[in-house]
Amino acid sequence: MALWATAGATGNGKRDGSLGYLVPALLLVVIFFIIPVLMLLLRSVLEPEPGLQNYATLLGSTTYLRIFLNTFIVAAVVTILSVSIGYPVAWLLAIMPEKWSRLVLAIIILSMWTNLLARTYAWMVLLQRTGVINKTLMGLGLIDAPLPLVNNLVGVTIGMTYIMLPFVILPLMGVIRAIDPGILRAAALCGAGRLQCFLRVLLPLSLPGVAAGALMVFVMSLGYFVTPALLGGTSNMMLAELVAQFVQSLVNWGMGGAAALVLLVVTLALYAVQLRYFNPNAAR
Amino acid sequence: MSEPFLNIRGIRKTFGSFTAVRDVTMDIAQGEFMTFLGPSGSGKSTTLYILAGFQDPSGGDIFLDGRSLLATPSHRRNIGMVFQRYTLFPHLTVGENVAFPLRIRRRPQAEIAERVRAALKLVRLEGFEDRKPANMSGGQQQRVALARALVYNPPVLLMDEPLSALDKKLREEIQFEIRRIHQETGVTILYVTHDQEEALRLSDRIAVFSQGEIDQIGTGPELYAAPATRFVAEFIGDSNFIETSIVSTDGRQARLVLPGGAMIDGVPLHGAASPGGRAALLLRPERIDLQRGEGEGALAGEVYDVTFLGNNVHVLVGMNDVAPVSVRIPFGHAALAGLTPGERVSLRFNAADTHAFLEPPAA
Amino acid sequence: MLLDFDKLGALRGVLIGITVAVCLFLILPIVFIAALSFGSSQWLIFPPPSWTFRWYHDLFADPRWFYAALTSLKIAAIVTVLSVVIGFLTALGLNRGRFPGRDALRALFLTPMILPVVVLAVALYALFLKLGLAGTTFAFVVAHLLIALPFSIISIGNALEGFDKSIEDAAILCGASPWEARLRVTVPAISHGIFAAAVFSFLASWDEVVLAIFMASPTLQTLPVKIWTTLRQDLTPVIAAASTLLIAFTILLMILAALVRKGPKT
Repeated sequence: MALWATAGATGNGKRDGSLGYLVPALLLVVIFFIIPVLMLLLRSVLEPEPGLQNYATLLGSTTYLRIFLNTFIVAAVVTILSVSIGYPVAWLLAIMPEKWSRLVLAIIILSMWTNLLARTYAWMVLLQRTGVINKTLMGLGLIDAPLPLVNNLVGVTIGMTYIMLPFVILPLMGVIRAIDPGILRAAALCGAGRLQCFLRVLLPLSLPGVAAGALMVFVMSLGYFVTPALLGGTSNMMLAELVAQFVQSLVNWGMGGAAALVLLVVTLALYAVQLRYFNPNAAR
Repeated sequence: MSEPFLNIRGIRKTFGSFTAVRDVTMDIAQGEFMTFLGPSGSGKSTTLYILAGFQDPSGGDIFLDGRSLLATPSHRRNIGMVFQRYTLFPHLTVGENVAFPLRIRRRPQAEIAERVRAALKLVRLEGFEDRKPANMSGGQQQRVALARALVYNPPVLLMDEPLSALDKKLREEIQFEIRRIHQETGVTILYVTHDQEEALRLSDRIAVFSQGEIDQIGTGPELYAAPATRFVAEFIGDSNFIETSIVSTDGRQARLVLPGGAMIDGVPLHGAASPGGRAALLLRPERIDLQRGEGEGALAGEVYDVTFLGNNVHVLVGMNDVAPVSVRIPFGHAALAGLTPGERVSLRFNAADTHAFLEPPAA
Repeated sequence: MLLDFDKLGALRGVLIGITVAVCLFLILPIVFIAALSFGSSQWLIFPPPSWTFRWYHDLFADPRWFYAALTSLKIAAIVTVLSVVIGFLTALGLNRGRFPGRDALRALFLTPMILPVVVLAVALYALFLKLGLAGTTFAFVVAHLLIALPFSIISIGNALEGFDKSIEDAAILCGASPWEARLRVTVPAISHGIFAAAVFSFLASWDEVVLAIFMASPTLQTLPVKIWTTLRQDLTPVIAAASTLLIAFTILLMILAALVRKGPKT
């Protein structure tokens, strides 16, 4: 009955103006989000003349296909790096004494909250030919000539991994924290060795978190604009830059809309996969 | 009942196709302590929420002092309420919590201070003014909530299972406090609970709710001695039910055949029945006379189990074709000393102590 | 045993090693930029030959940086207020309402946060060009509000989820009108969520680059736009100085947030 009372008092009962409260947000999202995005997509099939020629150009040219490929490769590499580096950190964070985990968390959050341009700028400086990294490597005698670390996909990958790491570590830490240590003690008592415990118990139990984190990083990387633009240079374009370039430099709204649609469709499809298979609410 | 004070008239509440409350009608006198007793989902809390104005009824009306309450929004009804969960305002101190209704009513500062002090004194929490709710026990929090609900002298105080989150000992302690406060203030209280002991201990009258309806309203002894329905009989006190068939009836009393073949005459009957119908016979465990051996009792059986429960002993008697009947005998009953499982016993009872409730015809 | 810190054995060393390395990886670029902003080398040589305040001097001497910061502050402030107010209303509606399509609506409100910003930026740019609003404060505020609002809805929504509505009902029976009860009881009780909403909304706007690049005009630039355009030309240490100030600002916000979280908690 308490249930009925609560449900009724908040819902079916009286004074339910709750739909009205959504009006401002709804107006904002419809007028300044849904309509403009639909208009942009419409332009991709209407400009310069009605038809699908923009998509034909986009998907038929090796230049653009290379950009798609670049985007997917970088996103995939960044995802793999972030997850494999982030997993041990999340694991330790989940179980280490709180005074230490607080410090590590503070560092992660500081890096996350630091202005994106400031962080990217730091990598531009660090990775340049005369930068600290090349100088250190040469000083150690590991290389003879400076490595090209910036204005290419290597630079983009480093910079993006740097940005994405917190997005893997934080949710994954939550997932591992939620696993009962007793389960692993039980596995050990059952005779499982460390590797078996990891492969057969810890990893499967944390896999939903890994999958969700990986998908999020992959999707974010696909649409990333700032870091690829600054660290990748002009010859190593990624998809988001292409969209911007069509609109800003070439003023070709048709092609810009088409490229935006490709990005949008891939993103939404991946989110649909996540909702369908890795929804943390459904899994738990 | 002296004069109309709070009248609930045919209140109904439906949620889609589900009827939570149907045709609830009652009159409550000024200063009365009325308890709504019933299991979860019986409509008692919904009725209380309708009184508070958190829900609108689908039909019916409520009058306070002769005026309909329904058009008045909750915050103008001037009703006090203590909730099931702790509802103190977490950002305010105890004193500020109790002062809140008076601040809303823009009372002068001096009056607020005076009345807050009096209200905290009433609930025996003087000196707690500056505490934050988070630093108090559940019992203390509910007492502050009580002070907050009474500080503006509302004519009616609603209490929605206010003690259900507390442990048994604390609950009994605060029940006593509530009784005292009711006597000191004379406020009319509508109290919701699913705990029959709590209802019996506190109330002037009890309304027993079942499936959205009121089965019976009466004082505790009335409900116990003359339950109107099988549900009330089951809910108030302990009970055994034995299936019988009706031999004859004059509409108010009946002559019944017990499972063993024995007849019993003069049983108060509830519901319009005709000979040949089936009826459930209520036997209170403490109103059964247990005898050793196959006596001339109405029922005979075998002792299944004997349990010592302090000042009385609980005996479970098994019979052919009938669910076991529980009997309560005082500890130290000389004739029954050393009763052991397996012994044959007979059961006797007075027809006036029993009640028969009509059963739906067998399918 | 893999989840018992004291029983990890040699594995513990490995995990600690990786974690320390990742922490250094995350913190060093930030420290490095801060150090270089005081270095005298125009070419950002490290370690710097000598130390100087020259870049800070240059930064403050150029009024365009100051105006850009002021613009950022103004837009972020407006966005924060709107985001918190609209976010509170929206979270309240989503939390209290029981209507079909509620989850779909919630998802819709959160979408601007998860979609590639560049798509939103280009789409909004087109719209504002058509409406003649490109390069206005209004355009900036709307664009940033779209991505700030989800943060408010989530933060305030979570706080409301943890708030017992009976407390608000109690205030109403005490005589407070529904809105009086919300403002005097609900809002203070969920103030931690509202504060988080404000901080995230502010940061979402203050740090935002992509939308800003498209919304900016030669006369209306936010700080990130100014950094962006400067960066595209060269890596001048003035940006290191600007970045260091931004980092200091972030640390200040973090300390403030930690203090608020430590404060009265229910």
